[in-house]
Amino acid sequence: MIQLFKICKSYGTNKALDDINLRMRKGEFVFITGPSGAGKTTILRIIFGTTRPTSGQVLIDGINLSRISRLKLDLLRRKIGFVFQDFKLLNSKTIFQNVALALEVTGERPAITRKKTHQAIKAVGLSGKEQAFPLELSGGEQQRVAIARAIINEPMLLIADEPTGNLDPDITKEIMVLFRSVNMRGTTMVIATHNRELLRDTGQRIIALDKGRVIEERTG
Amino acid sequence: MIIRLWIYFFKSAISNILNNSLIHLISMGTITISMLLFGAFMLLSMNLNNWIKQWGESLSMSVYLKDGADEKAKKEIESAIKKIKGAEIKGFITNEQAMINLKEGLGEQAGLLEGLEDIALPASYEIIFKDRSDNSIDPKLIKNSLEKMKGVDEVQYSQQWIERVEGVMDMSRVVGLAIGGLLCMAVLFITVNTIKLTIYSRRDEIEIYKLMGATDWFVKIPFLIEGAVQGLLSGVAAVLILILTYSVISLKTIDLFGLPVIDISFLSIQSCILLIFLSLTLCVAGGFVSIGRFFRS
Repeated sequence: MIQLFKICKSYGTNKALDDINLRMRKGEFVFITGPSGAGKTTILRIIFGTTRPTSGQVLIDGINLSRISRLKLDLLRRKIGFVFQDFKLLNSKTIFQNVALALEVTGERPAITRKKTHQAIKAVGLSGKEQAFPLELSGGEQQRVAIARAIINEPMLLIADEPTGNLDPDITKEIMVLFRSVNMRGTTMVIATHNRELLRDTGQRIIALDKGRVIEERTG
Repeated sequence: MIIRLWIYFFKSAISNILNNSLIHLISMGTITISMLLFGAFMLLSMNLNNWIKQWGESLSMSVYLKDGADEKAKKEIESAIKKIKGAEIKGFITNEQAMINLKEGLGEQAGLLEGLEDIALPASYEIIFKDRSDNSIDPKLIKNSLEKMKGVDEVQYSQQWIERVEGVMDMSRVVGLAIGGLLCMAVLFITVNTIKLTIYSRRDEIEIYKLMGATDWFVKIPFLIEGAVQGLLSGVAAVLILILTYSVISLKTIDLFGLPVIDISFLSIQSCILLIFLSLTLCVAGGFVSIGRFFRS
């Protein structure tokens, strides 16, 4: 599903990633961990195509991101869900409108968009809050809205960057349960976190980074 | 799906205009003023051209007679002039009158003519052409025809004056194009900056759309529609204000320096449509420029 070959990324003289070689299988649940500045977010952005590597190749589902056109990259992103640490919700739009956005950009029929949006909001446990605005919700609820938006297209890959970074332990558990249920439906999951509690006894693959290099690969 | 997308684009554009109504109102007001100036200039230029043309067309002609032309020849010439369409004999200037006129024309330098009283200036018929609206009168043809008549020495008409008028008209066209070009640039500049402002106020939204997999055109089209709506409304507003102003304050007719009475006419339907279309095109072009710059950056 995801193949990274000899990925290097530099910002000026600062090396964010150095010779990263990774493979992630379809349906796999992978944690990327490491201290701040280790390169977790950079890897996720390279996989999502928002950052280009300085050198190396990235293949997503057999598609080489360095050779893909801008239009094809847009179309590929529709198959990838991304959950951001800062949620990236539009505060001027309702919860329903925020979640529906992911289908509207694909030109989906309004009736189907409405139906799937209600289903996604229900799946993250926010039924009844469709007409609320993001700033009227708690941090945990906003994160659920972001997850609903990321899963509405039934993506083949879901990437999450520090999805529980701002949440308390109880809500963190709920979010992880949600991610596992998404993974159970066949979606490949890649989650970047520095939360060690999250990695304890997960039984899932953990890739540890430090200073832009992979320092350890294990099963939690 | 295409219709559905376009409905979405239009809804999105209208919603964006309403959400940023103040910016759009200011921008539309400024574009309207620019297009109004442009339209007023078109109106002025068109009427000035017509006026100069008509003025130039009211040419006069002098038919100089040979020395010693008899009464019979004069009557034949008079009769021939009267048969010319639009021609009217303003007067007959005798040899003596011609000399008096020359002296008057020379003023203080009339002394130069002392001792030359024996020289006879030719008598002439002064003709004016009042109605040349159908352009069927060819002064060159009349000149040639009259010069062939017995008793006619030479026919002169204000050809040099017409050339001068044409020069003025050419100059006014050049000035008009320059002013029009500047106004177009101003409209383009205003639209580019207004749409740039709305784009920057919504850059987070655009980023999220792109992260969701929206194509560039999915993001661009609503901004271009915004530009088109701005241009269309501003163009229509400019034309309406022009019509209103014309009907309220226009004198409709002028009579200046004894020149022919001229009707001040309003822009043709085609010119009004052209003005609206120009406004729309400039605003869409402005949208293209600003959204293009945003995506490149």
